[in-house]
Amino acid sequence: MATEPRQHQGASRRAESPRRSDAPRRGAEQHRIGLADRSRGWLRHHIEVARQALLRLWSTPLASLMTLAVLAIALALPGFIFTALKNVDQLTAGLDTDPHISLYLDVSLSDERIDSFSRELLLRDDLASVELISRDKGLEDFKAYTRFDDLLEFFDSNPLPAVITLIPRHDDPAQLQVLQQKLAALPEVEEARLDLEWVRRLGAFMALAERSAWVLGGLLALTVLLVVGNTVRMTIESRRDEILVSKMVGATDAWVRRPFLYSGVWFGAFGALLAWLLAQLALALISEPVQALAALYLNGYVVQGLGPVESLALLLIGILLGLGGAWLAVGRHLRDIEPG
Amino acid sequence: MTAIRFSNVGKRYPNGHDALVGLNFTLESGELAFLTGHSGAGKSTLLKLIMLMERPSRGGVWVGDRDLTKLPHKQIPFHRREIGVVFQNHQLLFDRSVFDNVALPLQISGYDPADAARRVRAALDKVGLLSREKLNPITLSSGEQQRVGIARAIVHKPKLLLADEPTGNLDPDLSEDIMHLFEQFNRIGTTVLIASHDLSLINRLRHRVLHLQGGRLVADGY
Repeated sequence: MATEPRQHQGASRRAESPRRSDAPRRGAEQHRIGLADRSRGWLRHHIEVARQALLRLWSTPLASLMTLAVLAIALALPGFIFTALKNVDQLTAGLDTDPHISLYLDVSLSDERIDSFSRELLLRDDLASVELISRDKGLEDFKAYTRFDDLLEFFDSNPLPAVITLIPRHDDPAQLQVLQQKLAALPEVEEARLDLEWVRRLGAFMALAERSAWVLGGLLALTVLLVVGNTVRMTIESRRDEILVSKMVGATDAWVRRPFLYSGVWFGAFGALLAWLLAQLALALISEPVQALAALYLNGYVVQGLGPVESLALLLIGILLGLGGAWLAVGRHLRDIEPG
Repeated sequence: MTAIRFSNVGKRYPNGHDALVGLNFTLESGELAFLTGHSGAGKSTLLKLIMLMERPSRGGVWVGDRDLTKLPHKQIPFHRREIGVVFQNHQLLFDRSVFDNVALPLQISGYDPADAARRVRAALDKVGLLSREKLNPITLSSGEQQRVGIARAIVHKPKLLLADEPTGNLDPDLSEDIMHLFEQFNRIGTTVLIASHDLSLINRLRHRVLHLQGGRLVADGY
């Protein structure tokens, strides 16, 4: 008896739609709306629910815009920071970060001796490259790159030592220090300086910045979850009657949940789009001074915006956070709205 | 065939109030019966047990051959889709048209929109409101609103129709119209159970009456 209503529906359904297969079916199958029909209905329902959720968003433009603005800022900030870090990473990748050892030679050495000393160094197998900057070349560079060329007039002769820049074959810090000490002990060498510290400092600084960005990103992701959750919670309250009636006439939990999840998805997606615009705008604003700064150190460096992969990731993260926030709110509040 | 069977059903609310005590009755398929009693006698609780809005504290409830005490939570929506319900305060949604109100159960069950539209119009035609389908139900009279509620309850042609005080807010003439509407559905085979305290009307209609008092069934007859 309990299954008869469906049987009734099934019978009249077939009578009304002759194009459907009229092969006589028996048993339980007869009671059901066909699987193809149901999946078509399911898809139609999803599209309809998504459309209505979108319309609901537009029906309260000001409130929606405020929410979206909060979401956009929360999403844009990490987006902006990660893009900035990516740029710094790229900048340092362009720099030669191999450890250098600079040998400042005794100023009393003759040019010939300097020349032969640098050739001796070339023979060592613990060095990858040897570059000699002669005293004259050093003087030229000093005049070209600094404003202190007037200073040189105070000297009778060239005060600059010859410098040999070495790139060691190994970059193990302990070995490098041993090598530095050995080179410093050579009689021709006045001073041997290992240019390693700044690379290490930069690396540590970048790691710290990246870690901070992740922490900040996590906090802001939580913000997105809570903002969407709260907005969806208010929507649920305002549609309480509809939820009750729907449940009374046989709506499943999934059916009741669906419109709110779509609201969350739309909030996340539009929030992410706005965030993308904000991040690009912010990058455009700082691009000029960064470019000017970069030009001082590196030629041909271009500030990178959010690329297609990052943009897609931002959109996806926005959607997932929106969906997650809605899911939390719906799970928490729909349970309370039960007819009875 | 049995449409509804209550076997020694008791319902005690968490506050200790016994809403129903030792309730036994059966409603045969195709029957029309009234459920009477003062407010608080347990009429609404009885209907809620059939709809699975409440679970009994003891005893068993069967709808058709389905044992509701064994029905898992996930199956409740599908159980409700096989029953039509009319509420006293009609429970219409005022954010949509009469048509969309009646179409709601069909949307939920996943009917094809064209098929659903035919069924909605057929249901509205039966309650005499076909011309009002585009209106918002808030613009209708209370009698008309109740008929929209009835159209929504029968649009999916349920075998079992429940009504909780369907004439509670209506004047006598309208009440009689509504009851005749239920009789029409009963004549085409629908099992109907109506909770009402409108005794004078019920006595005129001459159907089976289940009388509740303090949660107990104290009279069952014609």
